[in-house]
Amino acid sequence: MSSLLVAEWRRMVIDLVRYPLETVSMMVVMFAVFAGMFFGAHYLTAAPISGPNLSGVVIGYTVWTLVMNASGFMGYSIQNETQNGTLEQVMLAPWHTVQIFLVRGVMDILEMLLPVLVVLAALIALSGAKLDWRLLAAVPALMTIITAWGIGLMMAALALLFKRMNQLQLMIQFALLFVIIAPVATIAGAWGHVLGVLAPLSVQVSVLHATLAAAGHGASATLWWEAAADMVLWFVAGYWLLTAADHLARQRGIIGHY
Amino acid sequence: MLAADGLVKRFHSRTGPITAVDHISIAVAAGEVLAFLGPNGAGKTTTIKMVAGLIRPDQGRVVVDGVDVTGRPALAASRLGAVLEGSRNLYWRLTCLENLIYWGTLRRLTPAVARQRAGELLRMVDLEDRQHNSVQTLSRGMQQKLALCQALMHRPQLVLLDEPTLGLDFASAEAIKATVRQLGTEGVAILLTTHQMDVAQQLADRLAIIRAGQLVLTGRTEEVLTRYSRPVWRVTAGEAFSAGQLAAARTLGWPLEQPTPKDLLVTPPEDDPAAIYRLLDVLRPAAIRLVERHQADLAEVFQQVVSGGGEAL
Repeated sequence: MSSLLVAEWRRMVIDLVRYPLETVSMMVVMFAVFAGMFFGAHYLTAAPISGPNLSGVVIGYTVWTLVMNASGFMGYSIQNETQNGTLEQVMLAPWHTVQIFLVRGVMDILEMLLPVLVVLAALIALSGAKLDWRLLAAVPALMTIITAWGIGLMMAALALLFKRMNQLQLMIQFALLFVIIAPVATIAGAWGHVLGVLAPLSVQVSVLHATLAAAGHGASATLWWEAAADMVLWFVAGYWLLTAADHLARQRGIIGHY
Repeated sequence: MLAADGLVKRFHSRTGPITAVDHISIAVAAGEVLAFLGPNGAGKTTTIKMVAGLIRPDQGRVVVDGVDVTGRPALAASRLGAVLEGSRNLYWRLTCLENLIYWGTLRRLTPAVARQRAGELLRMVDLEDRQHNSVQTLSRGMQQKLALCQALMHRPQLVLLDEPTLGLDFASAEAIKATVRQLGTEGVAILLTTHQMDVAQQLADRLAIIRAGQLVLTGRTEEVLTRYSRPVWRVTAGEAFSAGQLAAARTLGWPLEQPTPKDLLVTPPEDDPAAIYRLLDVLRPAAIRLVERHQADLAEVFQQVVSGGGEAL
């Protein structure tokens, strides 16, 4: 597994360094977005937004961006490889298809997270603001991303079979936005509760919110367990679906088709 | 090194199922080059992709160096390399060296070993001075040589080459052929498909010809060419044969044609090794420039076999 990680890490670094304008532009955009969060509220509310509120906004936005990437990148990678004519070589590598695209998904998150951390550090230094960050919040944040990877594996499965799926990908990301924003996890009633637990990302986001909440009570043990179970469910479903799609694509002989 | 046994692959189309590959069995030993030939749509690429594990056969089994490709795909993949036609095989935005290190590391080499191996291969195909150029700036021939290097990074025991010299200029094609020959001497088994019969004839130890999904001819290259050669001798003179010389040749009683005034095609008895000398005797004093027995080339064999004149196995 380490050689796969090394191979993809090196390719990611080369890509970042090879196209500096792209990398710098990405960081400028991030800087502008976070600067808007740090300073924008000051102009709107005539009072600086700080402490837990600022942390909630920054972490929420960061996790949301990572979720969008985690759920979309693997499918995009397969589409891109097919279009460029390199997918068959990738599939000839001595790794399970899930391993290859999952590692790529992890690298994509790192590629996104590293500049975010640099930009945030710069903004904190410039503004003197303080982020009320709790280490424990990293756990639900990671659970949210792992759940999104599960969805990403499902998108990769669809991309392997259907190749072109940009519109579907947009629709699914829109649906994810809904389940994250809407209080699905708190729907009343037994069925509502089941729906809330089964819906992807909703429970993990609830745990994240509770962990970051100013009151500091944190999420209940039940919510933690539900978030963990939901994460495992979506990740295993993604793993299974991509494995099945890989089998079907080889059966139909359509791996390299575009 | 490769044993593909009873491979069958059917695809479903709007008009019903199509049998692309119909009970094909091929084997390639270590150090051997097998040319797998056939017209477009005969099933060559489907077969190669079944061998590579990219297409799952409906029936049959592929074993690479003792490893079942379907049962243990990752282990089998570590023992084979492929240059696939219609694929780029490389990342165009990366340099030659970066590509080789990436593909080598992806195939479980450490970066240091991959770098060393990449250097060896780039030297072998004379691309060392282009190692820092991105692939998109290379000529088609250079890209193909690099694609071959990519397939060789992890020292596979079996290499699949689908149209490796297609669209290449003379020098690039010669370089690829030289590399293939060298691989053969190093004990690598090579399964080669090509529409260029001269390339197949120069490289292949054995031939397998496929037509409409079925194997219609296999054998050692020399034996196949000999089998398809006719016992016809061409005698060419410096000037036109005289009527007297022709009449004298006809007295021998053998089938005789005169395609041009300076050429005779004669079919002497096959069991008489001295017959050709008797012919030359009666043609005296013609200025004979060339005497040769017909030797089939692969293009001729292929034409006969795929047009239905070849023997079915």
